[in-house]
Amino acid sequence: MRSTAKDKVILTLKYVVLIAFSVLCLYPLVWLFLSSFKTNSELYSNPWGLPESFSLANYIQAITEGHILQYFMNSVIIAVSAVAVSVLLGCMVSYAISRMDWKLSKITMSIFMLGMMIPVYAMVVPLFSMFNRMGLLNTHLAVIIPHIAISFPMTIFILTGFLASIPNELEEAAVMDGCTIYQIFFKIILPISKSSIVTVAVVTFINVWNDLLLPQIFLTDSSKMTLPVGLTEFQGQYTTNYVVEIAAVILTIIPSILVYIGLHKNIMEGMVSGAVKG
Amino acid sequence: MKKVLGDKKAIAIFVLPAFFIYAVFALIPIGYNIYVSFLQTDLMSPSQFVGLKNYMNLFKDSTFKLALKNNILMVIGSLIAHLPVALFLGNILFQKIRGSHFFQTVFFLPSVICGVAVGLTWTFVYNSEFGLLNKFFEIVGMESLQHVWLSDKKLALFCIIIVVMWQFVGYHMIIQLAAMRNISGDIYEAAEIDGASKWVQFKAITFPMIKPILKIDAVLIITGSLKYYDLIAVMTGGGPNHATELMSTYMFYQGFRTLKYGYSASIGVVLLLLCICSVFLSNFVFKEREAKQ
Repeated sequence: MRSTAKDKVILTLKYVVLIAFSVLCLYPLVWLFLSSFKTNSELYSNPWGLPESFSLANYIQAITEGHILQYFMNSVIIAVSAVAVSVLLGCMVSYAISRMDWKLSKITMSIFMLGMMIPVYAMVVPLFSMFNRMGLLNTHLAVIIPHIAISFPMTIFILTGFLASIPNELEEAAVMDGCTIYQIFFKIILPISKSSIVTVAVVTFINVWNDLLLPQIFLTDSSKMTLPVGLTEFQGQYTTNYVVEIAAVILTIIPSILVYIGLHKNIMEGMVSGAVKG
Repeated sequence: MKKVLGDKKAIAIFVLPAFFIYAVFALIPIGYNIYVSFLQTDLMSPSQFVGLKNYMNLFKDSTFKLALKNNILMVIGSLIAHLPVALFLGNILFQKIRGSHFFQTVFFLPSVICGVAVGLTWTFVYNSEFGLLNKFFEIVGMESLQHVWLSDKKLALFCIIIVVMWQFVGYHMIIQLAAMRNISGDIYEAAEIDGASKWVQFKAITFPMIKPILKIDAVLIITGSLKYYDLIAVMTGGGPNHATELMSTYMFYQGFRTLKYGYSASIGVVLLLLCICSVFLSNFVFKEREAKQ
């Protein structure tokens, strides 16, 4: 092993690059977190250092005056209902497409896959007009329904991929035992697909949670807004009081980061496999 | 078995609810959008059929042309910013290195954070008074490099491309890394025995083998850049003086701020066509690869 010294240098260089890039990824977030405890004048005089005290005053102001809790609840309601419906219906279609015998299954799959290339911008004007006529504008449903519709292609793509890999014997045995199709689906298929279901659920959740465009278009009442829209409201309101806005940003990203820490394997897998098809 | 899995009623119950929602709230709006793009309408008073007038106006509209140009710059900027950096980092992590999992998790993290929060975070970084960037130049004594970053017409778009890069390099790295992991280890063992250096291994094995995924990834970056909205909406609102306007933000502005829905819909159609084009490009690339094998 003649080249150990050289190898060591290369290895060190690699770590320097990796650590530098990690710092680049994390530092803005850490800085934001530390700044959220500062006062406005501290932010200007001491942007780099630690805050003088870890006071929660900014968070309290963001919650009491900035209605952050209200936005938070709206985001939760919208994201949870969109994910629940999208995943349940998505599982049902995926099962029918990948396991059941019917002539139109291939075509149905292609029609759903078509949705992968559709940008949401090509749908919002008609949706606005439809919801206007249905009286759904400025209700949570106006945001939930389109999110369910546009989540299907990715959900179905990932789930059919998994379901196709289940051995036939499982269903055969269940049929022998006299199970109905619904029992097979709910008692056998859903439990063994748990990991794929978590993947699609969490990716849909992140997409809905982070979305700005749909709530911005379909909701007008400030009491119905989601967190991203709420944050943009902050921008106008507190143009000089940055620290409260920073606290609000932290409150918005904490759920995503917590979900990510817990489920990063599923998230990476889902976001990558859903994307590669598109 | 056949009877259970071929039960027509069960199939209908499984398929129809999702298909109904998808058809009514995704497919029909696409068609309806094309129709609206031929109208002059504010969606309230009676609308007027104007044929291709919206499209003709689009190409006379200097702001739209600017948005299109910015979108193209975004596409090129994102391609340059993402592909080589992601490939470089991916290749480092592909070779057995301690802590690989940790680094992947950290690099991917920004892509799950809400675009609005990312945009706001970076407006603070770019802030001319307390922002990290200007403070940094102050500390190292290069005050001449300080700028009012996001209000500078020439710099604003570039500043935003940096943020896009910050947010999505890790995402593209994971895609490329997944492709690298699919290459059989035997090939590398054989190369190792033949005494090929790591660089030669990258050039002769890794790069050619992941080329198809690189091409798909390039399409992803292109369609992704066509769809950016949140960052611009939050960081500059398309300003200063439309310098960072994209088709997405301009579409929102025309439709939901000035209520020219027909015009707005025609921008949506242009975006749809561009996305379809880039997907066809990827399919074409795929076919070419299959033909070669």
